[in-house]
Amino acid sequence: MRLDLSLAARSVLRQRRRSLFGLFAVAFGVAALMIAAGFFEFNYDSMREGVIRSRLGHIQAVKRGYLESGASDPFKYIIPETSEDRLLLQSAPYVTVVAPRLSFNGLISKGESTIAFLGEGVDPVPEAKASSFVPIVEGRNLAGPDVSEVILGRGLAENLGAKVGDKVVLLATSARGAVNAVEVTVSGMFISSSKAYDDFALRLPLGTAQALLRTEGVHSWLMVLEHTDRTEYVLKKTEPKIKSSEIDLVPWYEAPMADFYNKTVELFSSQVGILRVLVAIIIVLSISNTLMNNVRERTGEIGTCMALGDTRRTVLRRFIVEGAVVGFFGGIAGIVLGLVLGGVVSYYGIPMPPPPGMTIGYTARIFITPRIVFDAMLLAVVTAFLAGIFPAWKASRMVITDAIRHGR
Amino acid sequence: MTIVVLEHITKEYRLGEHMVRALDDVTLSIESGVFLAIAGPSGSGKSTLLNIIGCIDTASSGRISVAGHDVSGQTPDQLASLRARTIGFVFQTFNLLPVLTAAENVEYPLLQMQELDKEDRKERVQEMLELVQLGKFAKHRPNQLSGGQRQRVAIARALVTRPELVLADEPTANLDHKTGEGILALMRDINRKLKTTFIFSTHDKKVIDSADRLVGIEDGTIRLLGVRKEGQWAITNLSRKGPAQPAKKSQSEEESNA
Ligand SMILES: Nc1ncnc2c1ncn2[C@@H]1O[C@H](COP(=O)(O)OP(=O)(O)O)[C@@H](O)[C@H]1O
Ligand SMILES: [Mg+2]
Repeated sequence: MRLDLSLAARSVLRQRRRSLFGLFAVAFGVAALMIAAGFFEFNYDSMREGVIRSRLGHIQAVKRGYLESGASDPFKYIIPETSEDRLLLQSAPYVTVVAPRLSFNGLISKGESTIAFLGEGVDPVPEAKASSFVPIVEGRNLAGPDVSEVILGRGLAENLGAKVGDKVVLLATSARGAVNAVEVTVSGMFISSSKAYDDFALRLPLGTAQALLRTEGVHSWLMVLEHTDRTEYVLKKTEPKIKSSEIDLVPWYEAPMADFYNKTVELFSSQVGILRVLVAIIIVLSISNTLMNNVRERTGEIGTCMALGDTRRTVLRRFIVEGAVVGFFGGIAGIVLGLVLGGVVSYYGIPMPPPPGMTIGYTARIFITPRIVFDAMLLAVVTAFLAGIFPAWKASRMVITDAIRHGR
Repeated sequence: MTIVVLEHITKEYRLGEHMVRALDDVTLSIESGVFLAIAGPSGSGKSTLLNIIGCIDTASSGRISVAGHDVSGQTPDQLASLRARTIGFVFQTFNLLPVLTAAENVEYPLLQMQELDKEDRKERVQEMLELVQLGKFAKHRPNQLSGGQRQRVAIARALVTRPELVLADEPTANLDHKTGEGILALMRDINRKLKTTFIFSTHDKKVIDSADRLVGIEDGTIRLLGVRKEGQWAITNLSRKGPAQPAKKSQSEEESNA
């Protein structure tokens, strides 16, 4: 095998120009694939982080069934604001913060206008860490856990005609079925990655929300981790330790809201799949072309080697290895090229218009993960290997005497 | 002891519409240890005959046995293994692998011999390079060597597996006369020293005299057989029809380099 590799390397070096052509084709394909996959990866990543760090957290602790049917009977799914279990989650590894949330529907009015809202009672200090993707675009965040303040989604504020500093009244049905009201001051406005959310959402201090709804509890504890990759690990570590039999830990990817993300990834992945096929075709064509020329040019050598006792299998293996060597080094060159190009593009950024359902445009970057690099390399080597089979087979089937006489 | 036996060998090639008969009913047996020249004009079938003896080509009909192996009906892999172990080749155009050094070229046929480790191979390669007086050129690439030196490397490569038989198809045709003589003298030396059977072809009458056996071939048939004893050729003329012609004696020149 070492000999095969060394022979292949020398043969590749011998036809520098031709090998370089094959190598460039592979490198170009690999780099293109990496850039495209890296672009999609960035988008998945932003979308995922956007929904996690505004709405879902990495893991939500809720009463069993809340995510599916909580909307129709919110008071049935109240859990305590704090408990042994919450402390346990807070002390788990990689946990940045555990933030309680109480969700409810109601009506908001200012002067003549009244519209429906989707409210969340939040503890402002942990929530600031949990909602890092919910920037305050006007005014300021909630001042404390019990103040009479509210922050509005920008769309909601616009629909209502409310400005920072305005007083608004919130109406909601309490746990006992009565309608309660509270007057609060608009302290700020926020946006998230979802326009649909911003058009209806508001957030107020947890204590104020609990008073409005006449409850002591919350609906969920949102766990936010240092890194999204840790979700499964933390879930596995904490799940068995939860004492309350009613509480479920739901990772972000299983929440109904993550459906949109999962579908988008699926769609884009199939597009990357198409690109992968195109790149595979480029690699197959260029490598088989390179090898066909090598085989033709070295016909005499092939005949000689077979006369010296090389079997057909040996000849076959030599050329396949040769193709794989071009694929391997082309792949390496492509990875370097892809990383450099990706770095340059990311440095300047690609300005993107607001995607459907979002309020603001964003700057796209290329986010190349180890997985992308691995996949691109694998594609290069495997396709190069496959591309080598036919020329190598041709070489191994040569008639020895004709091959030796060739080019005399 | 005979090393090669050919019985009624015929070889036909298809050239477009018609068939070319390159060998026509050739029957020949070759003793072990001889230094045999196959002589004949261009196109007479020398290469075809050598290729068939060397098991890199198959006869259209007839029986061949090489070094005790009946070659007919063997698979390509069996033939490859037979070539690897019992036959060495020297080519008119040297046919060294250009990407390998002289030593690596010589080592090449040993790589398929699993029983030899790296040390054994190195030792044998060095021994062979010394034998062809190229010990100092081990690291040279073929394109850094002269024609004569390349052919010496090829001879070392042919001998490194310690074959019973070395086949050389016009080994001197691409060399000037003096260098060619040197090559033949070297082969002749090795033939005597190692008792390796050499069969070489030539269309040059001058080189024939270094041989001790002669097969004259014309139009695919054997026309004469010669045996040299004490510097004298004993020639038997054969014709396609009729019995063998009376033997004719010819005076051999003094061996030039032996
Ligand atoms: N592969 C082939 N296809 C067709 N004809 C061939 C082939 N090889 C040899 N011949 C023919 O067979 C005859 C003998 O050729 P060859 O053995 O090469 O002669 P020599 O080596 O004595 O010059 C020639 O007429 C040649 O044209
Ligand atoms: Mg010839």
